[in-house]
Amino acid sequence: MSGKQHRILIANRGEIAVRIIRACRALDLDFVCVYTVEDAESGHAHAAAEAGPEKRLYRVSSYHDANELLAVADAAGATAVHPGYGFFAEDYRFARRVRQRGRSLDFIGPSWEVIRALGDKINTKRLARSLGVPTVPGSDKPIYDEMEAEKFARTIYEFQLQQGIERPVILVKASAGGGGMGIEEVHDIDLFRSVFRRIRNYASRQFKDEGVLIEQRIRDFNHLEVQILAERGAGRIVHFGTRNCSIQSTGLQKRLEVAPGFDPSAVRYRFDAAALLAKVTEHSLAMAREVRYDNIGTWEWIVSRDGAPFLMEVNTRIQVENGVSAAVSRIRGKDGTDLIAEQIRTALGEELGYDQDDIGFEGVGIEYRIIAEDPDRNFTPWVGRIETFRPPERDWLSVYTHVPSDRPYDIPTEFDPNLALAIIRGRDLEEAEARGREFLDALVLEGTSPSGDKIRSNVAFLRSMTEHILMF
Amino acid sequence: METEKQVQRLNERLTYIRDIFAGKDSGHIRLLDAKTADYAQRAPGLNARERRALALALEDLFADVENKLEADLTPMDKVRIVRHPQRFCLRDILENVYDGYTEIGSMDDHSIDPAMVIARGFITRRRGKRVTNQSVMIVGHEKGRGEEFRNGGSAKPWGNAKALHYMKVAETENIPVHAYVFTPGSYPIEDTPGAAQQIAANIYGMASLRVPVIAVISEGGSGGAEAVALADRRLMFSHGYYSVISPEGAAAIEGKPGPGGRVPAELVEQCALRMKITAEDNLRMGYVDQIIPEPDLGARPYHYDFFRGLRRELLRVTDEVSISVRGLPLFRALRLRGRRRSAAAGRDFESSYVRWNLPPSAQMRLVSRRHLKFRGLSLSAALDRTPLSRRIASVWQEACWIIYSRFRHDMLQKRRQKVSEYMEEVKSDWTLFFERALTPLRKLAAWFGRASERMSVETVRTLTELSEWNDTQENQRGGRWAYISAGAGEDRAVSCPNAGIHGCLDQWAPDLYGEFAGVCPNCGHHFPMEYQWYLHNVFDAGSLVEFAADVEAGNPLGMEDFGAKLEASRKRTGHKSACMVFEARIKGVRLVVAMLMADFRGGTVGAAEGEKFIRAAERAGRMRFPFFAYVHGTAGIRIQEGTNGLIQMPRCTMAVRRYIDAGGLYIVCYDTNSYAGPVASFLGCSPYQFGIRSANVGFAGPAVIAETTGLPVPPHYHNVYKALARGHIQGIWDRRELRFNLSRALLTMGGRNLYYR
Repeated sequence: MSGKQHRILIANRGEIAVRIIRACRALDLDFVCVYTVEDAESGHAHAAAEAGPEKRLYRVSSYHDANELLAVADAAGATAVHPGYGFFAEDYRFARRVRQRGRSLDFIGPSWEVIRALGDKINTKRLARSLGVPTVPGSDKPIYDEMEAEKFARTIYEFQLQQGIERPVILVKASAGGGGMGIEEVHDIDLFRSVFRRIRNYASRQFKDEGVLIEQRIRDFNHLEVQILAERGAGRIVHFGTRNCSIQSTGLQKRLEVAPGFDPSAVRYRFDAAALLAKVTEHSLAMAREVRYDNIGTWEWIVSRDGAPFLMEVNTRIQVENGVSAAVSRIRGKDGTDLIAEQIRTALGEELGYDQDDIGFEGVGIEYRIIAEDPDRNFTPWVGRIETFRPPERDWLSVYTHVPSDRPYDIPTEFDPNLALAIIRGRDLEEAEARGREFLDALVLEGTSPSGDKIRSNVAFLRSMTEHILMF
Repeated sequence: METEKQVQRLNERLTYIRDIFAGKDSGHIRLLDAKTADYAQRAPGLNARERRALALALEDLFADVENKLEADLTPMDKVRIVRHPQRFCLRDILENVYDGYTEIGSMDDHSIDPAMVIARGFITRRRGKRVTNQSVMIVGHEKGRGEEFRNGGSAKPWGNAKALHYMKVAETENIPVHAYVFTPGSYPIEDTPGAAQQIAANIYGMASLRVPVIAVISEGGSGGAEAVALADRRLMFSHGYYSVISPEGAAAIEGKPGPGGRVPAELVEQCALRMKITAEDNLRMGYVDQIIPEPDLGARPYHYDFFRGLRRELLRVTDEVSISVRGLPLFRALRLRGRRRSAAAGRDFESSYVRWNLPPSAQMRLVSRRHLKFRGLSLSAALDRTPLSRRIASVWQEACWIIYSRFRHDMLQKRRQKVSEYMEEVKSDWTLFFERALTPLRKLAAWFGRASERMSVETVRTLTELSEWNDTQENQRGGRWAYISAGAGEDRAVSCPNAGIHGCLDQWAPDLYGEFAGVCPNCGHHFPMEYQWYLHNVFDAGSLVEFAADVEAGNPLGMEDFGAKLEASRKRTGHKSACMVFEARIKGVRLVVAMLMADFRGGTVGAAEGEKFIRAAERAGRMRFPFFAYVHGTAGIRIQEGTNGLIQMPRCTMAVRRYIDAGGLYIVCYDTNSYAGPVASFLGCSPYQFGIRSANVGFAGPAVIAETTGLPVPPHYHNVYKALARGHIQGIWDRRELRFNLSRALLTMGGRNLYYR
């Protein structure tokens, strides 16, 4: 992969676009960016404009329009598309369209078959079960029949009582749903039927599919992630450790991530945390091997209070929090891990060049998502102009942002109000937490809304959450 | 004064001749013209006797010429005759045939649709001193003489509704209906109701009207005629025409003149000839029962003999229909034969008396006779190429089915109810006894071991291990269709026609025609899909069993180069007609399906299609299956088959009516474009009609409407949403949910007569 024979179209915006540009530079690859009117002042547009005299910046009307993006790819002579996260990242149709075009355009991500197979929750669950990977107790196929459903629900109820759960909760959800739609909890088994009917009707109306899934509701869980990277052509598969993403806003959006997932040396758990991490990683790798996974991806798990892991879903893309895993892992012979660069490298067909044994883990990493939102008002996004955004400069800290540091920046209302990612490294959890607090205290973030109010951000929320990272 | 009147009358006659022959045969006309002018010049100078002699000679000359001209009338000349303002109209019939009448709401332009006249009339009969007034309901089109508001006899939907209403009144009053057809076609307007919708309602209503209906056809144009002409006896004036479409319309389709273009007159003449629209042709093909002779060059209001003849025939035919269904079979036949003989002897019927009101048993007989009569029409127009062995097999099979369903549904079903009730009682007694006997044992077991409380390994396994699941057609999650449209193979972007309104992004063809099933994910616009998509994605895999596949669309009128076109269609589609009938299953429920596919001659309906449709309806009735008509697209009745095609409207509707009356469930679903005849009859009469989104349903296409009415056609005039608004269809279905909706409809609708009830 030498020189400028590759040209990457970055089909995304904001912080991830900035990071992809950085990775391209590090790999000495050419790149092209797209931007919309609202993003003209965004950091990724500036970075592309400043990269050289050649035209690297194309205006599009929307990041969602596949036709327009492909037209840009043709016009710019791009050889590959990086979808980042969000937008087209997990859209297997887009991936298929890119790959199936007559000319050589590559999709930086897994093959579309894999994206499709793992994008379907029921399919993922059934695949996991067929491999003996633990999943949340409950149905792995849509249930249509009311009698069958009630029988099933009663079994789950009994099952929870057997496990010593005093007040069992059953989750009823539309099999075709997602994003929290068509999902309800049942606390009283005698009320199950009415809930089932309600969800079934909702599903039939909304998703044209009456199928309903019934599961055990796991309470007070840890959210664990395993970072996987695989070669093109299903060659070598390695992992980059685990992350703990349990701290989330009310809308179940992640706000703070820690790597590694559990730290037995700092926290006392009710279960064997080290063994659990090994087990979860092993299961994830087994599944990746089974589907012939061929790029970067994340296996998401929930771990119950008693240390029972259940596979939740698979994200077939680079994630926001990839930096925190990179911060605690070290590839032999390289001075710093950049997972985006690794993703691009493997997607373009280059060999991995190292094995699992060559990846070492040390220290603890914390990632903060600095977001303009109001934690007191249910994390409502805040809109306005950022006058100053000045993170402190420390050698244990890296901040990724698209907010320019030298001029004011208006937060576009069209996209999520994510401002920056800060990654803190420490020798151990205690040091990382201390440094995290230090960072949050030293961060300067000033701005006013159109109505003259001062900026609202989640910095204080992050500060308070830093006290109890790695629960249980 | 006398002379002037006479000259004027002669001139009118001359104008009539001139108009009818439209410039042809100028020799005769010039002669008459010269003679009339001569008479007008000479008459004032003559005395009365000479004048009368001259006038008589001139009259004779006129009659002579008319008689000569009569011999070489072409079909197109007859079309011009029936459209001529001098031709008699319904009002003349009311005046001259009936002894008294009261017009019901059609006097002038204040009435609702004056193109449709309703009158309650009576015919007086004298038997010695006894005088009887026999009432009839008269329904018919009034062309008027150039009166603008009559619309030339084109009835609007509400006019047809009026006609149906008063036919029902006649049914209540138990008096026969005399229907007169003087229409070039229905007025193609989509209102509440739409033209097609109302005609379908009319045909459906008349199919089982329990009083004798006699139709008399002068100008029978397409759907407008069918709206009142479904009758036990159909009479036709000798100079009338009865056709699926006006010759001009047929020529416009044949010649394809393009927008604003004109069709050459020769082509129109040719079409009129080839479509076999005259009374003799229709009599030969069996679509009318009798011809009422007219004077030379057609009757005009002053031909009183003609009206007397009409009255005689009407009396005779109405009597015959009544006699043929009432009383004991033996007497019926004898009486009919006696009447036929006296008719042959030229005896008058005025003095004999036949009751026209029918007792209930005769009414049932009348309706079933009418069904049989139409069932037997146009059989020779479709080519049944089924081998003899298979025909015998199917007759045998049908007989078995009839016996089976009699046994299974009529006899067993009723008994089964009782048996199951009895069984339930026995069972509950038994369980009560058993419970009581077991209670002490249970207590003992509970005391001994608590192991039974613990969940079995097996149960836990159902919660955590892979379950059995046959994820096939039952769950079309994520757009995994059994059949993918051929359009998905192309690498191109497709623009949605609503992009300007809803801002839809262009879709990549493999996505759009693949997983999206041809539906725009943003606005829900349905792109047309081929019928195969429905065959494979709506019905259970492998459940399709086609029947009557060997009934082949023919060329009954022997149109030149139409045979080649049919052959081309047959080759391209691999089907022998535009209608495919099959048995299938949806989620296990068996049903009979008739599908009209747009690929074969635009989905037009001819004799073969009608025959297959009727066979499907009959099969569904016999087997007590639900009956589903899926209209992938239809352009109307196949005009190349002429009246053979047109007659399918009442034929199929009667089959459907029979099926519904027997307790069947008939569901219709329209897709893409469905227009004209079929929609205005056997499809539009269903109580459960649904449209696939983005489909068009209506009577006539926008171009035809603009041409006939001269009014601008609003956009989306035939859209399913408009059809829903005017009450034609009852719901709009998404293509992707068709299977789901249909299976739900089958389970929620339909009566106990269906096999799975």
